[in-house]
Order: sequence, then structure tokens, then C-alpha cells
Amino acid sequence: MSVSEREVKRTAPAVESTATQPARPARARRLPYWIPISVLALAVLLGGLLWWIWPPTLHGVVLQSPRPTADFTLDTSAGTPMSLSDFRGKYVLVYFGYTYCPDVCPITLNDLRDLADELGEPAMQDVQVLFISVDPQRDTPEQLATYLPSFHDDFLGMTGTVEQIQPVASQFAIFFEAQGGPDDAGYLVDHSSAVTLVDPQGRMRMVFPYGVSGAEMAADLQYFMRRSLRFW
Amino acid sequence: MTSQAETVPTWHEDKLSFSRLWYIVLVVPIVAALAFVIFQPVQVLPRIELAPGYSLVDQHGNRFTSEDVRGHLTLYTITYSHCGAGCPETSATMRTVQTAVNELSLGDLPTAFVSISIDPTRDTPERLAEFARQVGADGENWRFVTGDPSHLKQIIGAGFGTYYDATQADAIPFDPIYVLVDGWGIKRAVYRTGAPDLETLQRDFMLIAREVENSEGVNRFAYEAAHLFLCYPS
Repeated sequence: MSVSEREVKRTAPAVESTATQPARPARARRLPYWIPISVLALAVLLGGLLWWIWPPTLHGVVLQSPRPTADFTLDTSAGTPMSLSDFRGKYVLVYFGYTYCPDVCPITLNDLRDLADELGEPAMQDVQVLFISVDPQRDTPEQLATYLPSFHDDFLGMTGTVEQIQPVASQFAIFFEAQGGPDDAGYLVDHSSAVTLVDPQGRMRMVFPYGVSGAEMAADLQYFMRRSLRFW
Repeated sequence: MTSQAETVPTWHEDKLSFSRLWYIVLVVPIVAALAFVIFQPVQVLPRIELAPGYSLVDQHGNRFTSEDVRGHLTLYTITYSHCGAGCPETSATMRTVQTAVNELSLGDLPTAFVSISIDPTRDTPERLAEFARQVGADGENWRFVTGDPSHLKQIIGAGFGTYYDATQADAIPFDPIYVLVDGWGIKRAVYRTGAPDLETLQRDFMLIAREVENSEGVNRFAYEAAHLFLCYPS
């Protein structure tokens, strides 16, 4: 049997039935039901995957090749010295300021409190805010312990000597310089203002310049948290 | 009736339009992604890490901090004014780069050049001002700065990651380096050589300028995608 004969045999019954049965086939000619369902499922899967991994409009600046942050140990508002490495496994938001700061520091600390509110208590279990003083002359651990709870109970203050804090600040791209000393009443300290995100592996991942709101920082942080989830 | 039935396409015929759908859903994005990777219509420099923060004194005797160049595309190098024969001529190179960069079309992006003296004992502001004149520096956007020795070591050693030995009295040995830092204070390129390739430097200035220009709107996604998926230029 030739190929053309086989084709004729295969198609012949269909031609007959078309000829003998009146116009019914609207239903029969539809796509098999599994095709649209599978397309829909695939679209949902792809959409979900994209939502999961696709960077939103980030508000901070990402460091694509994050490098380990040099560890440091400072006195804390908790009463005992602590190191950055003590927070390995958590996202750490590092901010440099001082308790006598009239404007920028309280505004940023309010933003960080908003971030904590936005993330909620469960997510904040994986986040630590560190407030490192650039005015160690006045910011004793006790002073920090009094000051920070007015923003959030879990914010941790860190302080030390100028010599200890200088290299820590420098690696976070922060400069600071006191415009006076113990004899000058109410002196100010000039300093850079930025919040830096250190990831659970201890690497700098993102910088939030001054002016990024708490909700915006929270959105960026949630993106990192989503991406860090693993199912294997 | 037969003719009416024949006008309705069978699902086998629908396969054709269905395959078109597949082309749209899968093939087109894949081809577009491949074209993006292969032809690289967008090039970016890596965001390496944060440049160090500092507070130093410039050739005019004024305080000069890392905040003063925030928003500027800044090229850093190290030098000292008593740098004699055999010493890396970083200042001559900086002047060449400054001249070349001034000819580039960088849009509204301001630039800055900073030479950090590793010899604070001899390089007073007056001496640095004289040195700046000697090398023909445009003093407005090229600063010669120095500061406290321990702070300098922190900035140059730990921050910029290069070596110098300030314990030597006269000729201070150092590994020449040039670091390009963007307006966010992030290192974008590091050239560990005494004489970096001028074309590469110009290209890198231009790449960052284009990225800054396109940092708003839809174009931003293309640049962020380039950071995520493309190889950085060497």
C-alpha cells in the first residue's frame, strides 16, 4: 500500500461522516481542554517565578559583587561588647550618627522604625539595626541605652573610642569630624548619613542614601529576603 | 451545512495560530534575551564596593571630605610632592586624564580628581598648592589632599587596597593605583598600574555617564539587567 493510499484510507471516514452528519462540530473542533489549561499554568508559573526573582524598582544602590565586611567589636547599649559577626545569619542595617544630632539622625532613626513596623515582628527576627556613634565622647553605652528605645526597643547602639570607630566608619564610606570638644557646649559632629545593608553572610549588599523612606527600605529588604529563600 | 462546517477551522488548523502564540510567549523573549547578551547594547561597569569615607585637608587648607565629591565621578590616585626619579608619575598621568576627560561629552555629570599625598609631614597645604601649580593641575576639580598618617593608612591601605611605606624618610615606596568612584561613593573601576590605558579610562568615564543618564524610567531596567546578566568589560 502506497503512502497516498494510506492517507486516503485514513481520511475517508472523516469525509464520510462530514457528509452524512449535519453541522455539529463546533464543540468537536475546539482545542483540547488541556492546552489552554497548560498554557495558563505555564504563564502563572513563569509570572510567579519572575515576581519571585525579578528586582523591583529598588530604592537603594545594590553592590553586585558584595565583599565581606571587616569585622569589628564595640561597646554596646546592651552593656557588653559585641561584634558584627555576632549577627551573622541576620540582615544588619548599619547607621552612623550621634544622640545629640539635631536633625538627620532622628529622621533616619524614624525611617528605620517605620521599616521595622512595615516588616512586622516575625520578619524583624531576622533583622538587626545597629546605630554606631560618631560622638563617643558623649555617647556612652548608657546614653545610647537611654536614647534608642524612644525609636525602637530592638535597635542596638554601639560606641568606642574615636580610634576604634574611625576604621569602622571608613569602610562603610562614612566620614565624621567633631566641630568641637568636651569644653564646647552643644558641639556638632559632621558626618555622612547613609544606611548600609549587610547580608546574613556578612557582606555589604546595599546602600540607602539619606532620604529613602522606611517603607522603601523595607520593600528592598523584602526583595533580598525573598531571594534568599531556598527549598533544597 | 457542509459548507458552513468547512468554514470553521479544526483544532489541527488552530495549531498554526497556537504555535504563533508559543512564538510570542517563549521564542521571542528568548531570542531577545540572547540578542541582549550577545550584542550587549548596554554596557556597565561593576559596582565593586564602597570607597572609603574620609576627612582630609586640601591644597587650599580647607577640609575636604568624601561628601564633597558625592554626586561626582571621581578619579583617585596617590602621590607625594617629593616623588623623584623612578617614582610612578601619577600626577602627570592625572593631568593627561583630566585633559582627555574634559573633552568627553559626559552630559551633566560632574567630575573630580583627587590626588592623596602619602607624605603629610612634608606636604603641607602650601607645598601641595605649589605642587599643583607645577603639574599644571586645574585646581577647581583636581584636589591634592592629605591628613593624619593613621587616617591616611586607613583610607589608602584598607580603603583603596594599595601599599605604601610611610616609614621611609625620603623616597616613599608605593604601588600606584587609580580608582574610579561614582557619585554614590561606590568603586567602579580600579587600575593597578602606573600608566593606565587612556582609552580604557575614557571608555569607563563614558559608560558611567551613560548609566547615570539612563538611571530613570524604562531604561533603568535595561541597565539593571546588564548588571545582573552581562559580563563586565575588561
